[in-house]
Amino acid sequence: MASLTLDKVRKAFGPVEVLKEINLAIDDGEFLVLVGPSGCGKSTLLNLIAGLETSTDGEIRIGDRVINDVHPKDRNIAMVFQSYALYPNMTVRKNITFGLEIRGVSNEERDKAVADVAKLLQIEPLLDRKPSQLSGGQRQRVAMGRALVRDPDIFLFDEPLSNLDAKLRVDMRTEIKKLHQRLGSTIVYVTHDQIEAMTLASRIAVMKDGILQQFDTPQNIYERPNNMFVAGFIGSPSMNFINATLSEDNGKLAVTIPRGGDPIVLPLFEAPESYHGYVGKDVVFGIRPEALTHKRTGSDEPGSQYVNFDSKVEVIEPTGADTMTVIEIAGKEIVARVRPDRAPTPGESMTFSADMSQISLFDPDTELRI
Amino acid sequence: MADIQTYSHDAGWKHTVLRGLLYLVLILFAAYYLFPLIVMISTSLKSLDEIREGSLISLPRVVTFDAWNYAWNEACVGVECTGIKIYFWNSVKMAIPAVLISTFLGAINGYALTKWRFKGANIVFALLLFGCFIPFQVVLLPMSQVLGKLGLASSTPGLVLVHVVYGLCFTTLFFRNYYVSIPDELVKAATIDGAGFFTIFWRIILPISTPIIVVSVIWQFTQIWNDFLFGASFASGANAPMTVALNNIVNTTTGVKQYNVDMAAALLTGLPTLLVYVLAGKYFVRGLTAGSVKG
Repeated sequence: MASLTLDKVRKAFGPVEVLKEINLAIDDGEFLVLVGPSGCGKSTLLNLIAGLETSTDGEIRIGDRVINDVHPKDRNIAMVFQSYALYPNMTVRKNITFGLEIRGVSNEERDKAVADVAKLLQIEPLLDRKPSQLSGGQRQRVAMGRALVRDPDIFLFDEPLSNLDAKLRVDMRTEIKKLHQRLGSTIVYVTHDQIEAMTLASRIAVMKDGILQQFDTPQNIYERPNNMFVAGFIGSPSMNFINATLSEDNGKLAVTIPRGGDPIVLPLFEAPESYHGYVGKDVVFGIRPEALTHKRTGSDEPGSQYVNFDSKVEVIEPTGADTMTVIEIAGKEIVARVRPDRAPTPGESMTFSADMSQISLFDPDTELRI
Repeated sequence: MADIQTYSHDAGWKHTVLRGLLYLVLILFAAYYLFPLIVMISTSLKSLDEIREGSLISLPRVVTFDAWNYAWNEACVGVECTGIKIYFWNSVKMAIPAVLISTFLGAINGYALTKWRFKGANIVFALLLFGCFIPFQVVLLPMSQVLGKLGLASSTPGLVLVHVVYGLCFTTLFFRNYYVSIPDELVKAATIDGAGFFTIFWRIILPISTPIIVVSVIWQFTQIWNDFLFGASFASGANAPMTVALNNIVNTTTGVKQYNVDMAAALLTGLPTLLVYVLAGKYFVRGLTAGSVKG
């Protein structure tokens, strides 16, 4: 096990730059998730770490060792692929031991290693089957077994769950998390699923168009997204963005949302220094659905973090635990998360509470967090 | 209910007629193709006297394998009267190495062109593809010069070389199209497992190539066994393959024309390819379409 450092890593295919100056560093035992939409370069980045592709520029280190020019087999990494990439002509046992065999590990040691891994992943009854005789979930386990058996410094996962059905995906997700907690290994995990990213990661790297957008813990990324892309990508349903202006009233900052008739004025709960430069200017007001809910008790008291406003309800979408309530403000559909017993009927007007301690403001031009 | 019954009765009648027509056409076509074969077999089993007396299509009154025996052991090829058997073995000695070598090289080529893409791989592939369209006649002269310089003129190894070179384009095309549909991740996984170019080829790629190996072997065997032009041009006399010998038997003009021997010799020549198709034919059709879904 070891730490991983990427220092100004660039990758270009001819004139097309797919990765632009990526800087990342994780400690021993961390679970790094690379997340982003398709084509953002996350899989390329993983291939660079694996050594299946070479970087155009920059340095990749495992521990203190620079591995840019080290052959994949000598990097002491193991990888689990999206398609599992099990060798179709070999039994499960052979699949798992192939890497050990190539490395000249003795027969007895191989048998012991297979037995250990099979026990850990509960695939003992499958050892003498061919991959074609396994279900998707079983193949997934075998692919993980092939990685585990080598006891590598770093595990690389390339969208390992995206070929499984929804139920199995959740189960395997938990199992990967358990495995990580048990083994304490360093893992780099690529996915386009933000829920996987949030649940698994100790740190998340959000990528878009080959640029690292934000690299932080899941909670920080969720609460303090660097820009509108990250804010919209992480979280489901995604964050509401409303065009507004920042105004000052008696030394107190407030977000003013124009709408037909009275504007909605939402006084800010906290006002960091950076906000002051935007007074009187346009901003994008970002609020997550769960911060926008039915009227809370205590919201009328002065100094409360909750601010109330009235709005007409357009559509409701019950999900069981919460009811997503769609309202329209300034021509935009806004989702609020309401407790089912407080859910309104469409067409009705109701009072909503915005939790002003959980909001984000963005610059409308740069889309960066203010 | 009654309506439906009338309808289905009507449809059933039409169905029968159409089926009957279909089978009639199929039988006609089958007969058209089978008839020459039947004539050949029946003629080869007749004695020369019977051929002279009877008609072409009449079945043999007395079945005799004398003609087959004579063709195999005694028939005159040119001036040598040693039968067709030595030429049969010539063809075997030519076809088997040529088929194996060209199939093997095609497999390696296809593997390298799809899984270890190097700069210019597409150009190499395009050139190989172009090779499939070069007519035999074009290469005769340069090839004979090359064979002469290599000291392989008029020999079986020379013919093997010619067929390997010529067959390489086709076998590469087969294997390349088959390997395109095999996920690259398999090779990546094996690379991380520590396997190199040839280990991956032997241990992973080749074992899953059976369908396309069968296709390549059948195709190459048929091409090489049936070839006449290269055989006639590059291997003369005692080294000639069976097709050339057959031609010489049939075209020998001295004495009486022994139709039964000619027919027996021709059947003997065609037998190996027929056998290969019967044994592996279903793999051939399966393998030809295997790589076509993803290309």
